[in-house]
Amino acid sequence: MTMTPEDVVRVVAEMQGEGIVVPTMTTVPAWRTTAPEAASVACVGFMGGASSLGLGLALAEPGRRIVVLDGDGSLLMQLGSLATVAGAAPKNYTHVVMANGVYHTSGSQGIPAGDRIDFEGLARSAGYAHAETIDNLEDFRIRWPELLTREGPVMVQLITGEAELTPMTAPGGKPFAQQVAELREKLQGA
Amino acid sequence: MTTELRTESIPAPLIVEALKDAFRWERPEGRPATSPLGWVLTVPDTHQRSVLRLLTDDPDIRLLTCSTEDEANAIAAGLSIGGEPVLMLIQHAGLYASVNTLRGVAMDGRVPSFYLIGLLGRQPGQELSDSRSSMVRYAEPLLETFGVPYARLENADDLPRIAEYYRLSREQMGPTAVLVGLETGE
Repeated sequence: MTMTPEDVVRVVAEMQGEGIVVPTMTTVPAWRTTAPEAASVACVGFMGGASSLGLGLALAEPGRRIVVLDGDGSLLMQLGSLATVAGAAPKNYTHVVMANGVYHTSGSQGIPAGDRIDFEGLARSAGYAHAETIDNLEDFRIRWPELLTREGPVMVQLITGEAELTPMTAPGGKPFAQQVAELREKLQGA
Repeated sequence: MTTELRTESIPAPLIVEALKDAFRWERPEGRPATSPLGWVLTVPDTHQRSVLRLLTDDPDIRLLTCSTEDEANAIAAGLSIGGEPVLMLIQHAGLYASVNTLRGVAMDGRVPSFYLIGLLGRQPGQELSDSRSSMVRYAEPLLETFGVPYARLENADDLPRIAEYYRLSREQMGPTAVLVGLETGE
């Protein structure tokens, strides 16, 4: 059965621990209802920036795992971030790329080369410490604990279907500035 | 009456010291004296290459080269949220390239973001508005349009502007910039 971004969010939330999650685009509505109190900050208003926002957190908080919940269309907007992440080489960085081949939020238009692009291969070529692809929820559940703990940067490309909700069909949530302020307080007040 | 601009190429070591002064002000409590003072995120700038050369081997600074200025903005936000002193060293073209991220991260996100921006192509003694280079000419109008406080680094007397505007970005929780007028010296 095809995985959805909501399935992925539930697994990530169950095993978050002391980690920090950076969701973006279609994972944002699911994340805020599944894990409303969790340490997280959503990349909203600057599509493509999740991988970089997560990298900054990973460098600032080397003792915590940073999980970036990215999309294929989002990552394409800042594909060079794969090289920047690989160059910085954060050991505590897990990059989840949900590949459904479309820009779901804007109406499911196809992404460039959506039928052949391979984000696992791109991450590997850029220099990530590990990259793999998973196409079903059961395998993802089994593999996730290791992907959360092995030395990064780690990329997992998940072949998914479309989400049930998008930021357009389920708007709301805290403004980005409030999320930033709350996470800053959580980390620096800790 | 017009006053002639006193522009000069500022030696890189003076600029590096000014960056360190800015970082020292923000140094987190309890940080070991031996640890680096802060992060400089860059997409290399021809104009400030002598500064970058010094920073590359400076144990007080963590220099991270990014693929784009968009990334630098978001990485800086992550570092800032985690309490790390950080600034961005970029070129005017990079400012133009990353305007949406500046807006979305630094402004809407109220993230302290300080930019040291090189004005490649700027002529000595010339007002920016008179430059034949559109990249030089539009830098200040763009910052003004977005309400980003900025200062110019025209000569060594302006060096305190670096710490001043770095601090202002922290106090105002948003973007500020210093424009580097002439190519930095050795």
